Amino acid sequence: MSFTTFSDEARIALDNMADFAWSLGSPSLRLGVTGLSRAGKTVFITALIHNLTHGGRLPMFEPWRAGRLLGADIRPQLHPDVPTFDYRGHVRKLTDARVWPDSTRQISELRLTIAYESATFLGRSLGRGKLDLDIVDYPGEWLLDLPLLSKDYRAFSSETLERGREPRRTAIAADWLAHTSGVDPLGPADDEAAGRLHELFAAYLGAARGGSLALSMVPPGRFLMPGDLAGSPALTFAPLDLPESGEAPRDSLWALMESRFEAYKDVVVRPFFRTHFARLDRQVVLVDVLAALNGGREALVDLEMALGEILGCFRPGRSSWLGQVLTRRIDRILFAATKADHLHHASHDRLELILRRLTDRAIARASFSGAEVDVKALAAVRATREATVRRNGESLPCILGVPQEGELLDDHLYDGKEEIALFPGDLPDNPQALFRPPEAGEPGFDALRFLRFRPPPLEVTAEGVSLSLPHIRLDRALDFLIGDRLA
Amino acid sequence: MTRRPTAFDLTADEVSHVRPGEAPPADAAVIVEEAVEADDLPAPLPPVRRRFSWSRLLFGAVAGILSLAIGLWLDQLVRELFSRDDWLGWLAVGLIALAVIAVVAIAAREIAGLIWLRRIDRMRRRADLAAVRDDRPEAEAVVDELIKLYADRPDLAPGRRATQARVDDIIDGRDRLVLAEADLLAPLDAAARRLVSDAAARVSVVTAVSPRAAIDVIFVVVATLGLIRRLAALYGGRPGFVGLARLTRLVLTHLAVTGSIAVGDGLAQQLIGHGLAAKLSARLGEGVINGLLTARVGVAAIDVCRPLPFLERRRPQISEIMAGIRAPRAK
Repeated sequence: MSFTTFSDEARIALDNMADFAWSLGSPSLRLGVTGLSRAGKTVFITALIHNLTHGGRLPMFEPWRAGRLLGADIRPQLHPDVPTFDYRGHVRKLTDARVWPDSTRQISELRLTIAYESATFLGRSLGRGKLDLDIVDYPGEWLLDLPLLSKDYRAFSSETLERGREPRRTAIAADWLAHTSGVDPLGPADDEAAGRLHELFAAYLGAARGGSLALSMVPPGRFLMPGDLAGSPALTFAPLDLPESGEAPRDSLWALMESRFEAYKDVVVRPFFRTHFARLDRQVVLVDVLAALNGGREALVDLEMALGEILGCFRPGRSSWLGQVLTRRIDRILFAATKADHLHHASHDRLELILRRLTDRAIARASFSGAEVDVKALAAVRATREATVRRNGESLPCILGVPQEGELLDDHLYDGKEEIALFPGDLPDNPQALFRPPEAGEPGFDALRFLRFRPPPLEVTAEGVSLSLPHIRLDRALDFLIGDRLA
Repeated sequence: MTRRPTAFDLTADEVSHVRPGEAPPADAAVIVEEAVEADDLPAPLPPVRRRFSWSRLLFGAVAGILSLAIGLWLDQLVRELFSRDDWLGWLAVGLIALAVIAVVAIAAREIAGLIWLRRIDRMRRRADLAAVRDDRPEAEAVVDELIKLYADRPDLAPGRRATQARVDDIIDGRDRLVLAEADLLAPLDAAARRLVSDAAARVSVVTAVSPRAAIDVIFVVVATLGLIRRLAALYGGRPGFVGLARLTRLVLTHLAVTGSIAVGDGLAQQLIGHGLAAKLSARLGEGVINGLLTARVGVAAIDVCRPLPFLERRRPQISEIMAGIRAPRAK
């Protein structure tokens, strides 16, 4: 494996053995919630905890259906040096203020202990009827760094510059590219020049990620969400227009940048990968397909590339009990198209097909190595209801909800208060149509428009008990991800 | 033709918003009809017990020995010149040992089945007595035993918890039994009624359409035995072959004893119904009668297998079971 060194592997194996020894008494399951920023990781984790702790409606989750689920509790987490996932704050925001949580700025962790009644005789008499579920939440931008582990500075530079010169990016990349071409990589190492380059580069990355472009392939991720490392040398570098061949001369700008790039990998990326991703049991990959569809074909292709590179860093495979001691492997992966509530359920199958097409390389790799793979369209928190609109004799499958403030459709700006019925357009039967240039007469991306809706008001029963958050297929996702461990 | 993304303002004049259950107005230009939220809760499944099967081990081991013999024979045939090896013998000894273990295990299971039958019988009599005398300690003992009997059943976990939660409450003897019956046995009773209905339906249909009398006889016997066995499994027993034979005898005895009571149990109407069916077709009439018989055997089997007598809950009536045949079942 090219992106981890031998010493990394050794440390991972040691950690695994220690974990194994600890977990002999209390089994734990590490669930990796992966997804780029705004894919809905925080909401997914919050909804998962809320439904499990509040006895939410999870009919397709077998332990719930059989009445074997006794309850769940938040317990002290695995690493004491990582902040705890702010579950209560997120729930309050969702239910009281009815806004989605802000984008995650730092890593946080959580352990959920699920109490259940085992369905097997051995499980009842020997097991302790509890499962510890460890979940990590982190800024999605950081995921973009994982593919960097297998690249050197030269490859990083040339790829980044090449991407910046793509026609769609020229508008936002012009300043940075012009400045970069004026800098001589063989010139003397100058902290100020490096800082100026970094500033322009980071501005370009921010513009590519935000705005109407909604591009995904914008590494390094810490430049977008620096956390507490902002301003440190390891985060102050930029790609350079390097000569075709040769080594970096001593004390040149090139050498400075290269050493900082390597430091970034060693200090920032590798520890993050080692502590949180190298040892997962289950993985759910959340993908916001609808935002990419709003962004157009380039955004979709870009998303496909980013997902392909990121998912290449994980280790799927069938896990054996012996292998479990040394190397943990991800034996079940769920690819989930989030925000499925922004679409009528009749289109969910097509949404799943698009996601399948987006991640087909990763799916093939995981299936080949023996992991179980599933693709689902889900909504961790369901913000809309469904309706059929009849107009002039045609009927449109619609969703009802309150669009977020600032959402725009046909020059109408929503204020976050009015409720509308939205017909977002028809997804194509064949997902392939979205990835190639459109043929004449075919509807393009402007035939699709997905608005973002506010979280739903929480229903309260006659006795004043608030119900759990509504969802779409969260129960199926849970059943696939952890159901077998609660058998 | 492509359909453009469109938003409909629910407060606009030409839009009328229809909630579930309301009738859409005739004159509105745009009607937003809200969908009814479907409750996708599936019907609770009867427990599927996947246990390690000793009989399979027996057959496996015997088959292993047979194949060893064949192997040996082949070995002799093919390589007559070689002297026979020791380890094959040891392997055979090992397999025979496995077979012996399996035989012992099956015998143990038979014995366990018989013990269960006696235990159920004793529990029911104790419960009956405790209910009549309103004897609190005795009732508590019976409830404890009931919980122990169903300790292995994950599907009854909620009922068990509810029963255990009341351990410290002050409840009279009979009431405690009634509560335990409602918590623990109610779901089983519902499943049992469905089992009997299904069996009766199958028997009726097969009798009505089968071309030969011999076939119905065999089918009725097989279906009835299967029904008794399934009911016993449902109420927590695991009768083996001997246990099943004994259970069947008990059921038939019970049927004979209670046969006279059944007249009040809607049997008269059922028989008249049979007369009508027979007027339409002789085979149809036979089908109805066979179905009735199966249902009665099923009810008797429920009586025999149930660890408590019917206290507050009603014993399933033949008419209800026959009605259950016609009612659509949730799959």
